[in-house]
Amino acid sequence: MKKRRVTALLMAMSMAITGLAGCGQTTKEEAKTGTGDAQVQTAEERAGENGTEGVETADSGEKVNIKLFTGKIETIDVMNEIIEDFNQSQDRITVEQEYQKDASNIIKIKFASDEVPDIMTTYEQGFVDEGKYMDLSDQEEWWSRMSPDMKTACTDVKQEKTFRVCTNMTMAGFFYNKEMFAELGIEEFPDQWDEFVEMLEEIKAQKPDVVPWFIFGSEAWHLGHLIEFIPHGYVKSELGTLEAKKAMLGNDQGQLKFAQTDGPMAVFARNMKQLQEKGLINEDVLTATNDNCVQDFVSGRAAMFSNGMWAISSVLEASPEMEDKIGFAPYPAYMPGSSPVVLSAEDSGYSISATTEHKEACIEFLNFLFLPENQLKYCEVAKAPSAFKDVTAKWAPESVVSEVSAALENAVNIGYTNEKPAGFSGDDAGRMLQNLFAGQYTPEEFAQAYTDAWNDGFGGAGDGE
Amino acid sequence: MKNRKIGLHQFMAVPAFALYAVFFIYPLLKGIGLCFTDWDGIGTAHFIGLKNFIHFFHDERALSDIRTTVLFTLGSAPLLNIVGLIYALLMNSDFKGKSVARMCIYMPAIISPLIMGYIWYFLLQPGRGFLYHFFDGLGHPEWFGNWIGSYKSALFVLILVNVWQYAGMTMVIYLAGLQGISKELYEAAKIDGARWTDGFFRVTLPLLGPSIRINVITNIIGSLSVFDIVMSLTGGGPGYQTETLSIYIMRMCYGSKTGYSVAVAIILFLIVLVPVAAASWLMRKKEEE
Repeated sequence: MKKRRVTALLMAMSMAITGLAGCGQTTKEEAKTGTGDAQVQTAEERAGENGTEGVETADSGEKVNIKLFTGKIETIDVMNEIIEDFNQSQDRITVEQEYQKDASNIIKIKFASDEVPDIMTTYEQGFVDEGKYMDLSDQEEWWSRMSPDMKTACTDVKQEKTFRVCTNMTMAGFFYNKEMFAELGIEEFPDQWDEFVEMLEEIKAQKPDVVPWFIFGSEAWHLGHLIEFIPHGYVKSELGTLEAKKAMLGNDQGQLKFAQTDGPMAVFARNMKQLQEKGLINEDVLTATNDNCVQDFVSGRAAMFSNGMWAISSVLEASPEMEDKIGFAPYPAYMPGSSPVVLSAEDSGYSISATTEHKEACIEFLNFLFLPENQLKYCEVAKAPSAFKDVTAKWAPESVVSEVSAALENAVNIGYTNEKPAGFSGDDAGRMLQNLFAGQYTPEEFAQAYTDAWNDGFGGAGDGE
Repeated sequence: MKNRKIGLHQFMAVPAFALYAVFFIYPLLKGIGLCFTDWDGIGTAHFIGLKNFIHFFHDERALSDIRTTVLFTLGSAPLLNIVGLIYALLMNSDFKGKSVARMCIYMPAIISPLIMGYIWYFLLQPGRGFLYHFFDGLGHPEWFGNWIGSYKSALFVLILVNVWQYAGMTMVIYLAGLQGISKELYEAAKIDGARWTDGFFRVTLPLLGPSIRINVITNIIGSLSVFDIVMSLTGGGPGYQTETLSIYIMRMCYGSKTGYSVAVAIILFLIVLVPVAAASWLMRKKEEE
């Protein structure tokens, strides 16, 4: 009996220890993979220190493991290839890639649980403000190769420091079927909203079975992008990049004018409702998906759609014959006296955690990743031009590249709004546009609700919509 | 010797308790602490007292989500029990192909609700889904409506899909209860001249008490905390129109309002607790009578 009791006791203890061990903090464990002082210093202990101090070097003999966290599904394979080359090229550092579909949310859990990856592609103003990223301003070798516009786009307006390196640019505007437009006798894509509506009406009149503008509104991010590119684009084109960033950061409604009945939000909402009422967008705007959009576009059932360069690969995958038929145009000017806009923004950004114990190893890996030959490979897969001046990649079919270049020359180039309130995401904005299409808001109510949500988003916790 | 055995048995529960404490009690206590803060999930949490709870009752979106959640529960929980009981009564009788029928009814319950949501999306998608093409093939595309694109019908669809998925689960519990009722009771009732309805209301239902209690309670809990089927079928949309409280909690949590989301989670806990406790008390009282 005694023997059984002892066995039971041992089993119970071992199970309890095993269970509890799995829940322990991993920072200490990770520290042990390093060497020297870093072995006994946890991330927590170093959180308050300057990110560049106390960082372990990779040449201390023991192998260093660094984690790269990404949400970019389209580049997983090429990144694995580059990582494999890097891991083979030396025996001191091993890089591991972790992909998460919902990366922007998962990273919050990782920060909250102190399981922060060393390098990450997710970036948020809130994390910048909290000092979660390492200051990379002193990486002159990278910045000297980068186009000035992209360096500016990577710079945090508040601190005037750079916390991420973006290796690529991306553009967004209208993709249209050039062949169909030629057939309809549309020679130029309009740059004013009234003419744009007339063009859509013309398409509808001549081809009743074709959706003039396809919007896949079941995916909130897509509708969020429309707000980001059209009304936010107007604000940026009017105020200028820097002033717009400051106005958004400071929530200067005097300049943003989101709630005004003749402001950018109300006019945008009015225009969208008008298109819906006239049947110039797809009837199933609230339930259509990205796949539906691609299928309808390549089969000639949709004349155009709004999206970023990342859409090219799925269009060409669905129909390689579309290569010469894809046209690209900026968003027409929709406010009085304004100009057409096109997104030309930073893409594929890399940040290093402020608490990483392997700063040197991270930089060594990023140096390898940023090599022109690796960037060339990356750009071709990501379908995005490089932000580095010394990398000229064939990132899209020649005809698309020339269309994009023309659009960039003929419109105000705008960037992403990184300075939006942390508590009001692009998806949230998209869901509000869903409500507009569902008839829950008038344009004026939409503008007011958007402003309220924007203001609440700045309020942080305890200020839900 | 008896005391020693009890001690040993209690000790054997330590691992299970330890896991329970780590994964349930600790997060619960931590959550109770967080709900009084303005934690955004990134920075430092500051104590703000009851502000989150007060704010909740002024938050139009949250109140609308409560309405959606309650309406979903009012539709889903009774239907699940009625359909589950009907299925169980059928499966308790003898007919050919009973095993196949039972499998067909139960199968949706073992498929992930997320997958189920996506499957139903492709069936119901306006203008593109299988059902649209089916009605179109019959020459009546107008019979198919934008059921998941408008608020009232979308909520109704969600209730039906939920019932379709989980009625099998409810059926199994009722079936176990039915099989535990002695046939002699029905025979005795029959001899006394009882009709089928008398047998059902005076024998079956009273003796199914424990099964009804389990089903009612689990269905109320499941319906009030519904998440995955709504997320995959409508995404809480259009807009926020079919957003339930669980989805709202998730969105607030990741939307830099983590402290607030924990407060809402505690409110949801209370919302679940009240009807469950009331249902449990009422049914126990009825059984005792």
